Amino acid sequence: MGPLSVNELISENTNLFLAFIIGIGFGFVLEQSGFSSSRKLAGVFYGYDTVVLKVFFTAAITAMLGLLFFSLFGWIDLSMVYVNPTYLTSAIVGGIIMGAGFIMGGYCPGTSFCGASIGKLDAFVFIGGLFLGVFIFGIGYPIWDGMYLAKFLGSPKISTTLGLTDGVFAILLIMVALAMFWVAEWAEKKFPREEY
Amino acid sequence: MKPLRLLALFIIPMGLIIAAVPQNKTKPYKLTAEQLLGEVNTRTQYLTPDAVADMIIKKDPTLRLIDVRSQDEFEKFNLQGAINIPVTDLLSEKYADILNQDGKMNVFYSNGTLTANEAWMVTRQLGYNNNFVLEGGLNYWFDAILNPNKPASTSPDEEFAKYDFRKSAGAALGGGSAIQPSQDQSTVSAKPAITAGIKKKKAAGGC
Repeated sequence: MGPLSVNELISENTNLFLAFIIGIGFGFVLEQSGFSSSRKLAGVFYGYDTVVLKVFFTAAITAMLGLLFFSLFGWIDLSMVYVNPTYLTSAIVGGIIMGAGFIMGGYCPGTSFCGASIGKLDAFVFIGGLFLGVFIFGIGYPIWDGMYLAKFLGSPKISTTLGLTDGVFAILLIMVALAMFWVAEWAEKKFPREEY
Repeated sequence: MKPLRLLALFIIPMGLIIAAVPQNKTKPYKLTAEQLLGEVNTRTQYLTPDAVADMIIKKDPTLRLIDVRSQDEFEKFNLQGAINIPVTDLLSEKYADILNQDGKMNVFYSNGTLTANEAWMVTRQLGYNNNFVLEGGLNYWFDAILNPNKPASTSPDEEFAKYDFRKSAGAALGGGSAIQPSQDQSTVSAKPAITAGIKKKKAAGGC
């Protein structure tokens, strides 16, 4: 049956409309969970607040289980779901830049708009920097396009690389996530901060 | 109860279930029986030998001939530029990118049309576009292109044009005798327009 738009069960416009509704819901939940506070977000790097780690990992696991069960029931064809292609060098370099920006700015791209929506000035500055970065990347593209496109690996899945089925990988990831949540809660007790 | 325990209590059993059950690799059919019957009745899947010969001669880059017979038969004789995908291996992963794509016109052929039609039906039911069948198969190809019959002298001009084209095409493709091109070949066989396939849609996302 699914994906709905690829199988033309819904039109491209309906698809965008649904994305709009889901996007509003996503932004609302982010804001309500406190993701519009840069101090809360940066807390994950210092250990005093690890809600970012917990929320995003819980979301990933929920989506993973949902997709696997949908596939099991024949509701979605996982081979038709788009998987972001892997360019290893860009992934590593981009990850470092993104991480550094996250620590310094206190936002990730999505949450910066969340903060801006309730009028946080630091979020607006962050968005300015975001667009500046996009602009510099675009202007300087000829300089780093070799690196940008280096080490193309296609769309590999960790489960196939390890020779596991998706289900076995899923339970392993769940165990890893729960262990991380446990460490995160320990860190919150170890490095508490009163006001932020 | 602590939220972490509650979460663990829920996701660990779910993970165990999904790890224990076999992976669902079945591909649902995309066409209903009625839709498929409709396509079969209108014979949309067929390309005439003339159209295919024209594309081979013009080296049309969108044409991809696919021999669905066994490898033995393929090695004994095949059409120029054809690749071999035996119908028994049709659903093999390595051929998925060839059969499910938007850029080329895949033309299945076998000795008659039976095997090629089997291949077309399976790929069509999987929702793949741009797969066709060589009308009449190789048997008709031999009759029509490689050994065309001269039409009766009372036949209309189109018959002679067709004959001239087939004779020259046959010679170019390794059969028949001398060529005597007298007509503009492009008037003889109109190339069927490639149907606009579903572009593989991609969705991107992120944090």
